[in-house]
Amino acid sequence: MDVLLQAIVNGILLGGFYALMGMGQNIIFGVMKIVNFCHGEMLMVGMYLTYMLYTYAGIDPYLALPLVAIIMFLLGAVIQHTLITPSLKTKSFTNLLFLTVGLGLLLSNGALVLFGSDYKSIRTSYSQTNIMLGPVSVALPKLISFLVLIVVTIALFTFLKYSTTGKQIRAVSQNPVGAEVCGINVRRIYLLTYGLGVALAGIAGCLLTQFYSIYPTAGASFGFRALIVVVVGGLGSIPGAFFAGILLGLLEQMSALFISPSYSDMIVFITFIVILVVRQLLIMRRK
Amino acid sequence: MLKVENLNAGYGSVNILWDVSMELNDGEVVAVLGSNGAGKTTMVRAITGMIRPTSGSIVFNGEELCKKPSRYILDAGIVQVPEGRQLFTEMTVLENLQMGAFSKETKEHFQENLEKCYKWFPKLEERAKQAAGTLSGGEQQMVAVARALIGMPKLLILDEPSLGLAPNIVDDILNVAKTLAKESNISVLLVEQDITKALAAADRGYVIENGHVALSGTADELAANEHVKKAYLGI
Ligand SMILES: Nc1ncnc2c1ncn2[C@@H]1O[C@H](COP(=O)(O)OP(=O)(O)OP(=O)(O)O)[C@@H](O)[C@H]1O
Ligand SMILES: [Mg+2]
Repeated sequence: MDVLLQAIVNGILLGGFYALMGMGQNIIFGVMKIVNFCHGEMLMVGMYLTYMLYTYAGIDPYLALPLVAIIMFLLGAVIQHTLITPSLKTKSFTNLLFLTVGLGLLLSNGALVLFGSDYKSIRTSYSQTNIMLGPVSVALPKLISFLVLIVVTIALFTFLKYSTTGKQIRAVSQNPVGAEVCGINVRRIYLLTYGLGVALAGIAGCLLTQFYSIYPTAGASFGFRALIVVVVGGLGSIPGAFFAGILLGLLEQMSALFISPSYSDMIVFITFIVILVVRQLLIMRRK
Repeated sequence: MLKVENLNAGYGSVNILWDVSMELNDGEVVAVLGSNGAGKTTMVRAITGMIRPTSGSIVFNGEELCKKPSRYILDAGIVQVPEGRQLFTEMTVLENLQMGAFSKETKEHFQENLEKCYKWFPKLEERAKQAAGTLSGGEQQMVAVARALIGMPKLLILDEPSLGLAPNIVDDILNVAKTLAKESNISVLLVEQDITKALAAADRGYVIENGHVALSGTADELAANEHVKKAYLGI
């Protein structure tokens, strides 16, 4: 029973990272209708950034969090301005596919050149601290990560729902022509959106350094799962991404517990495919 | 207030508008008529800067606007109700109207303009919190017109407001346009395929065929014109 509870708690905490990644991918896809295939690599960049700030400047990972978010936002904005916006004009999906996949390769290989392929980690005084929640023991960094996730989700939701810029982001995602008619600066919204999406991946990366090794391809599995979260949680929905992320984390931990940890990847993807097929059937039936 | 001269515009290397010239005075309702694919919407896009004209001149209140970006043209006071309405369907009616306030000035006057819009279209006040996509076609067209009015236009361009609407709703919307022109001194450029209704609402009109201005004149002249009668009114 305790083992099950433990797995549930771990699943929820792990799912928090998938949710963060999914939200970033979701907002990018919602606004520009492009899949950001280098989303996982952005998480990896966030990890190395945190690592550097810790090793060379002695900044605690949690204090570094806002800094990492801002730097990642700027990185995203620059990429959007110099690469993505110009190729959006070509209206070619393949261009953007190659662009984001290529960027991902560039980033992971860049990390390989700069940092080597060995696993790095950040050990702070509290990274081994555990907290007992009833019968379940939770690593303090995981708990903090989850709280950050909750705050970020609420902030993002509120921003999109109530702020003028948030409304403009929704307007562009629903009708770019209507947005231009209303004088909304669509390029600016693209810039903000991509920056925001990348910043969310960076936040996930920063938090992850506390209990996950840092290596050039560390982001790959998170990148894939972000796509699953977007598809399962519904396009453009922040709460959808939140819950889909948590569910995915739970599914993974449950299958690790009941079947085998080595099968959890496979089970995640099989479930994903089943969901896609079932949804397609439902859509066809409705027509 | 608006003087378009020898406007040429199109998409990529395809030219659609050929030396289009037209004029609009303060408080005037001018109809632009033509059949499917004549180039009416292309003309609207060229005037509002959504596409870049290849040559020509668009002078609005003494200022040259040709080749200026769409945002700049909005600021100058030319606001359009685009073809197909282009609403934000999952946002509420009120949020749609808020999006119409694009400048500092329009934001400051938002509340009073909103009340005016609700006076023109009382339905919208009832539906303020409802998602725009769940409204009827006529109500959606009202949202589109109201969203443009929030932008405090000096020149309001309506691109086929009658598309897919019941005749009495078309009358309502054209009445609002006409009243705006006469009372608030807003000029209205009314793009229409429904020629009878358009000429009834307009002071003057232009007929566009294959991207050229084929005919122009007062509404009465056009309604009486043999070519118009034969080609468009089926008489
Ligand atoms: N985005 C576009 N790219 C290329 N060609 C276009 C585009 N939009 C319109 N056209 C072409 O330009 C021509 C004029 O179209 P336009 O939309 O201006 O006609 P219209 O007079 O508004 O017709 P309707 O009454 O059907 O709205 C048409 O031949 C159309 O195929
Ligand atoms: Mg048209």
